[in-house]
This record gives sequence, C-alpha cells and structure tokens, in this order.
Amino acid sequence: MTVFHFFNCAILTFGPHAVYYSATPLSEYDTLGTSIKAAIVYLGTALVKLVCLATFLKVSETDSFDPYQELLKALIGFVDVAGLYFALTQLTHRNISQNHKFQAVGLGWAFADSVLHRLAPLWVGARGLEFTWDYILQGLEANANLVLSISLAALGSLMWLRKNKPKTLIPIIYICAGIVSTMPSITSLQDRVATAVSFLSEARPGVALTGGGWV
Amino acid sequence: MAHQRKRQVMESMFPVIELVVILLACVEFCGAGTVVDVYRLIQYDISGVPFGSRFAALNHHAASTHFPPGSDLSRTVLIIPFRDLNISFVKEYISQRQPLGGLLFLLPRIFSFENKDDIGSNHQDHASEQIKNLLAELEQLLLHSNIPYPVYFAFEDSDTEAVLADIKRNDATGQPATATTGGSGWVSGRELGSGFGMGSRVEGRGLVSRSDFGTRTGFETDVRVFFQGRVSRRGVRVGVRFSGRRRDLGWVSGCGSGSGFGVGDGFWDGGWGQDSGQGYKLVVSVPEPKKVASPTITNIQGWLPGLKTDGDNQLPTIAIVASYDTFGAAPALSVGSDSNGSGVVALLEIARLFSFLYSNPKTRGRYNLLFGLTSGGPYNYNGTHKWLRSFDQRLRESIDFAICLNSVGSWDNELWIHVSKPPENAYIKQIFEGFSNVAEELGFKVGLKHKKINISNPRVAWEHEQFSRMRVTAATLSELSVTSELFERTGGLVDSRGFTNETAVIRSVKLIAESLAACYSRLGSNFGDDVLEVADGWSFENVHLKHIYGQEKNMEIFADDSSLAVNPFYIRSWLEFLSRKPRVAPFISKNDPLVLALKKELEDHTHEVNIQHEVLDGMFTFYDSSRARLNIYQVASVTFDLLLLLVLGSYLIVLFSFLVITTRGLDDLISIFRRPPSRKVKTA
Repeated sequence: MTVFHFFNCAILTFGPHAVYYSATPLSEYDTLGTSIKAAIVYLGTALVKLVCLATFLKVSETDSFDPYQELLKALIGFVDVAGLYFALTQLTHRNISQNHKFQAVGLGWAFADSVLHRLAPLWVGARGLEFTWDYILQGLEANANLVLSISLAALGSLMWLRKNKPKTLIPIIYICAGIVSTMPSITSLQDRVATAVSFLSEARPGVALTGGGWV
Repeated sequence: MAHQRKRQVMESMFPVIELVVILLACVEFCGAGTVVDVYRLIQYDISGVPFGSRFAALNHHAASTHFPPGSDLSRTVLIIPFRDLNISFVKEYISQRQPLGGLLFLLPRIFSFENKDDIGSNHQDHASEQIKNLLAELEQLLLHSNIPYPVYFAFEDSDTEAVLADIKRNDATGQPATATTGGSGWVSGRELGSGFGMGSRVEGRGLVSRSDFGTRTGFETDVRVFFQGRVSRRGVRVGVRFSGRRRDLGWVSGCGSGSGFGVGDGFWDGGWGQDSGQGYKLVVSVPEPKKVASPTITNIQGWLPGLKTDGDNQLPTIAIVASYDTFGAAPALSVGSDSNGSGVVALLEIARLFSFLYSNPKTRGRYNLLFGLTSGGPYNYNGTHKWLRSFDQRLRESIDFAICLNSVGSWDNELWIHVSKPPENAYIKQIFEGFSNVAEELGFKVGLKHKKINISNPRVAWEHEQFSRMRVTAATLSELSVTSELFERTGGLVDSRGFTNETAVIRSVKLIAESLAACYSRLGSNFGDDVLEVADGWSFENVHLKHIYGQEKNMEIFADDSSLAVNPFYIRSWLEFLSRKPRVAPFISKNDPLVLALKKELEDHTHEVNIQHEVLDGMFTFYDSSRARLNIYQVASVTFDLLLLLVLGSYLIVLFSFLVITTRGLDDLISIFRRPPSRKVKTA
C-alpha cells in the first residue's frame, strides 16, 4: 500500500502522457519545447480563469441549479479556448509541421492540467493508509482529459491553422469545438444530475445517506 | 574522466534523494477512515512484576474471532465484541501467551458513561446481571495477567459494527491461510501482507522479533517495494545501485541474485490467503507508555466542630469516611458509580444534612464530625493509612468510632456492617444496635460481619481495617457481604451509572444520618426538642414530626418531607457527576477538577477543609496513555497493488504499441525492439 499505491496511481495519471510523447513521432522531432510552452500558457490561462471565476461567480450556499451562473461558468470555460488559440497561433514554434504542433500543444496542455489538478491530491491522499478508488478514478480521468485536450487542440488547429478547409465541414468543426470546449460544464452537469438521482433513489427506501460516495 | 566524475556526482546524489523522499514521507497526513475512541487496558507493576497490557502502539490488520483455525495471529488484531465473547477462548489465549498483534474489545453501550438511555432504571434483570458477571470475570482476568501486546476497549457504535460485519464476512469467505511456506517464510510473507516490502528474508526475520513497529519502518520497506518494483519491472539500473548501496549485504544478495522474487512467491501464498480482497488496518499511534512519576494520592477532610459545654475538655469525634478513587481494567473508563461513587455521594449528603443541624447552636451536637474523602482505596487503602498517620495523637484518641462507606448504591434490602473487632465489643454492639434499629424503622435489614485482621498480611480488604490497625474503632457499611480480593469491586468497567440505584443511596444516607442522630439523643441532650424547634422556625408544619417527637426512640429527624429530608436531586446530580469522571488515583493530578470540586463541596458544608497530598507507596508503578484514538483504515492488500501495477503496465504497453502502429506503422514498432542489437553492432 502507501507509496506503492501512490506509484501505481501516478503511473496511471502521468504514464499516458509520457507514452504518447515517446510513441508518436513527437519524440523524433523533438517537440518538447512546444509542449513546455503550451504548459506555461496553460498555467497563465488557469490563472486568468481563476481570477474570472472568483470575480464573476457567486458562491452558492445551496446546491441549487442556477442557469445564469452555469452559463457564466461555461463562458469562462472558453478562456481555455482562448489560451489554446494563443498557444497554437501566437507562439513562435520551431519549424514543426502543423500535424505535430497541435499534438505537442495538446499534450503539454493535458500534462500541465494533470500536474496542477491531480499531483497534490495524489501525493497527500494516495499515500494514506485508507484505500479508496478515488485516485484510480482520478488517473482514468487524466487519461480522458488527455484525449479531450488533444482533440480540442486538433479542432483548434483545423479552425485556425488550415487555410483550405472544405466548406461543408466548417459548421461541423465549429459545433464540435463548441461541444468539446464546454465539456467540463457538461460533465459537471451530468455529475449533478447523477448525484440527484442517487440521492432520490437512496432517500426513497428511507435509508440514511452515507454521503460522499463517488458516482 | 569527465564521464566518470559525472557518474560519481550522480551517485552521491542518491542518498540525498533518498533522504528527501523519506523526509517527505515522514510528514504524516491525516488520512480518512474511521476514528474511534479507545481505552487501553491498564499497565502496571506490583513490586516490579509486570501486569496488564505492556504495549500501546498498534498497527495491524484486523480479524474477528471467526478467523480460520490454525492461522498465525501474531500480526493481527482480534476484535472481540463483548456480546459474543467466549471467555474460555480469551483465557486460553492469555494463559498460553499465544502471540497476537493486539486485542480490541467492543463493549455494549450500557457500560458507557455517555450512555443516557438507561440512567435511573435499575438493571437487575437476569440478562444484564449475566453480562455484568462476565465482564467482571474478564476484567479480573485481564488485570491479573501480563499481556505482551496492546489491549484496547471501545464502545459499540454503528461504525465499529459496520467494520466488524465486514471483517467477519471476509474471515468467513477468505480461504484459510496457506502455511506451505512455513516458518520464517510465512512470517515474512505476513510482513509483506501488512505493508512490508519484498524485503529479503534476513530483514524480515529481524523485524519479527520486534512486535511494536512504527510507521517509519513500514515506510522504508515500502520504499523497498517501490524500488524493487522498478528493478524487476523495468530493469532500471538506478534502482539496483540505489538499494545495494543503502541496504546491508543480505538485501543486496537477495536482490542481486533474484532470490528476492523467491521471497515474493512466499509472500504471494501467505499474503493472498490473509489479505485477499480488502481488509482493515487498525492504527493507534501513541508513544510508548511512560511510567507515572510518583503517583500522588489526595485526601480531603472536612471538620464540623460540635458544641462545647463548660464541663467538656474535648469532645468525642465521629469520623465518616469514604474512599473516592477507583481502579479498573481501563483507567479511562473506571468511573465506579457504585464502588465507591455511591459512598462519596452518601458522605457529601450526610455532610450537607449535618451542616444544617450544626449551623444552629441549639441543634449542634456534642460530637465533632470528621468527614474524610480518601484516595488510594484500591491499593489496600493506602490513602486512609497515610491520612490516619497524619493525625496527631489527641485527635486519633478522640475518635469514638469511624464509619466507612463502601458501595452503598445497588442493594435491595440488606446492608452489611463489617467490623474487625469481635461483635461482643461494647462499641461495636452499640454501633450495630443503632444501625439495626434504624434499619428496622426504615424497613430493611442490617447484618454484621466480623473478619479478624491478619497484621502480617499486607492486604487490607476493608477501609475500617486501617482504622483498626491504628486502634480506632471502626466499621464499614457496605452492600457487599464478602471480602473482595485485590482490585475486585474497585469501580472498574462494570461499575457504570446504569447499575447504580439512587434510591439505594438515599436509603443508605437516611440510615446513617438517623443512626448518627440517635447517638446524640443517647447522649441525653434535649436534641429532639431543638430539632423540632428549628424545623418549626423554618416554618415547616410537620404534624408527622410532632407526632414522632413524643417517643424519643423512634424520632425521625430526617423525614422525607421535612426541611432536613435527604435531597434526591443532590444525590442524583453528584452520582451523575462521579459516574462521568474516571478516578484512578495515579492519573488524578493534584489540582484535578474532581479534587477541587470535592473540596469545594466539603467547604460548603463543613469548616476547616484540608487537602493532603501523599505519594502512593512504592509497591505500585503505573504507566500512562490510558486513552487513545484508533484509526480504522480500509486497505487493499499489496497483492491488489501488484495486480494493479500489472494491469497498468500492460495498459501502457498496449497504448504504446497502438500509438506507434497508428502513427508510424507496425514496422516501426518491430524495429524499436530490434534496434538495441543493431546499435551494438554499430559501436562494435
């Protein structure tokens, strides 16, 4: 347990990033610099996002659903898209193909996200004696996030870097980009619905709530 | 040259890295998990002979009593719910000194002093009587044995019940631990099972001999797992060098020759049987118990001076004494509601009643009253002994007799007066007659028990024996008919509020107060008149009292509805208070709130309250850390983590292959594995 388990969870959380880098041609073209730049941009974006959230969002005392607040949250989520746009178009990259550029940016983006959001909880929690599935799930989440980031970067590069886009595809690209970038809001919404459902199903037989279960 | 130097620098960095890792890991984070208040079995020595639980720190897996037969429990905590306790099993385990990681007894909530449901009702039904006797037997067993592992008590609640049910289920389904590896192999397997690394056999054996193992070592071995895991899985050179450098030879050979994996196999067998699925780990992290330096005992005395008339040179004194401290299997649970909380409450109430009478010169008796709350009761009334020794000769000689109160809180219709002088003795006769007359009035019986003192025997069973040894006439009033052994009936686990009856205390108070008042009457004063007058003065129109007044012998001074009635609320509140406060003397400091509260109460009712601090005689040594917090962690076995590692490894390999194939093609993937030999050929 303990450190061993931490090690396992860390593999699950950060392993895929390393594997992705080493398995794809990214490593051959030495695109590490691009990834690092993307990670730094992510840091800046996260900071901006934090400030925005703190400024514009009310702290809800109750867990009630407020559509206006949710909309605002989703809009702030587009700060991410702005950050990606900056990372993809404004940064001077070394002469690498667009194909590799979006992968490198997506990878750096996802890795920075994992480090920022998951490393500290992992270090604090996964080394404790208590066993929970939380950290393994969190690792899986990191995997999903990697896919999400790379696909978002891919869409971004399609939108902003490709000159000769097929006309018919443009609306589809934009719709996809919209869906992908609002993904965090969508998942949180799902989460909320799922907890509400489980709440109802638990409350009905009159069983006391244990609370805190993962959904 | 430069390359070599670089390597040296790198190598010198490794200990630093290790140090940083260890330092980081030593920072303990409060994990989640259930936290339960636990109370440790007392640890004490009598003249150097050890008794009780000798350890406090706990860090083991939990098992229920349904463990598979023949399994090794030396690193397992047995959780025994008191409801299905098999006393002969425990007896056998303790008497044969079988190795155990620890014991945790779950007590029913009726014994908890936080239990409020049952207060007031008198638990005299058959079932609870049985539970009581069983618990008393268990307590005596634990108190008088030397147990080389931690023993804790906790109260049943929903958390512990859930955990226990889970453990039982695991124990029932888990296949019996395979002992094929036997001996040390099995043991080292077990070490692994509980979080120890794939350490070499040598180290494993070294660890077994020590039974209390801190988390630090657990961590070190974890690091070992960590690094060997890397070594065996990836063949990273750093790992090998790292461990080889830091560990002793045994480890290096174990690692280098690959026999580490052999041990791993042993672990696999043992660990699997033990830890299949998820288990629970019980952790109590407390420092090693320390000796209580010079345990003090505190006696409190109050003095009510009688009315001196011209002729009297010195008034006779009556002493009323109760010992207030307790002793039991769990010091933090030894509240002793009956033994001797009831005696203390009775004493305080008597002091209160007589302070009324003594506040008016007309009703002030010709006796001095001396109230003594003594400590050290369980230790052969050591405090009483010290207290008596501190008296000056004149005071000691002036004491006519002393009444000691001991366990007067749960009797039905018979009380006993224990004396050590023969019943024919004039004083004894007088005391006994006085008491039995009043008892008859009140509708119950008082019996007399005579037990001679054996001066050569250090055991003092009754408090009055200390008086008798000082040649002071004394008697003990108690509900107990038989003499108890050392540490028996001293207010242990059983003696909770739920089993103490306040009406019994009220009747005892009445008995004593009336008997004492009768003494005044016999002194020939016109005491009765005055009492009545005073009562009238307090505008209590009490026809009943007036009626009784006619016949001096049956005068009832402390009648139920008079201003001098025994106050049931007073008794109840004090009984509640004492039933919440563990009172094991070595753990009561000099200025403990309890001592101060008792002192204050006596000050309210008597004059000249003195506190006497004494050191408990050197025969007994006590150890601290009597209460702790138990963390119950749900843990997965190392096996689970190994499997997880395997799954993750294959996942990453599959991911790698998939990515290589999709982005570069299958040939590239194959060429990756071919490359090393080709490179070698190139360099050659």
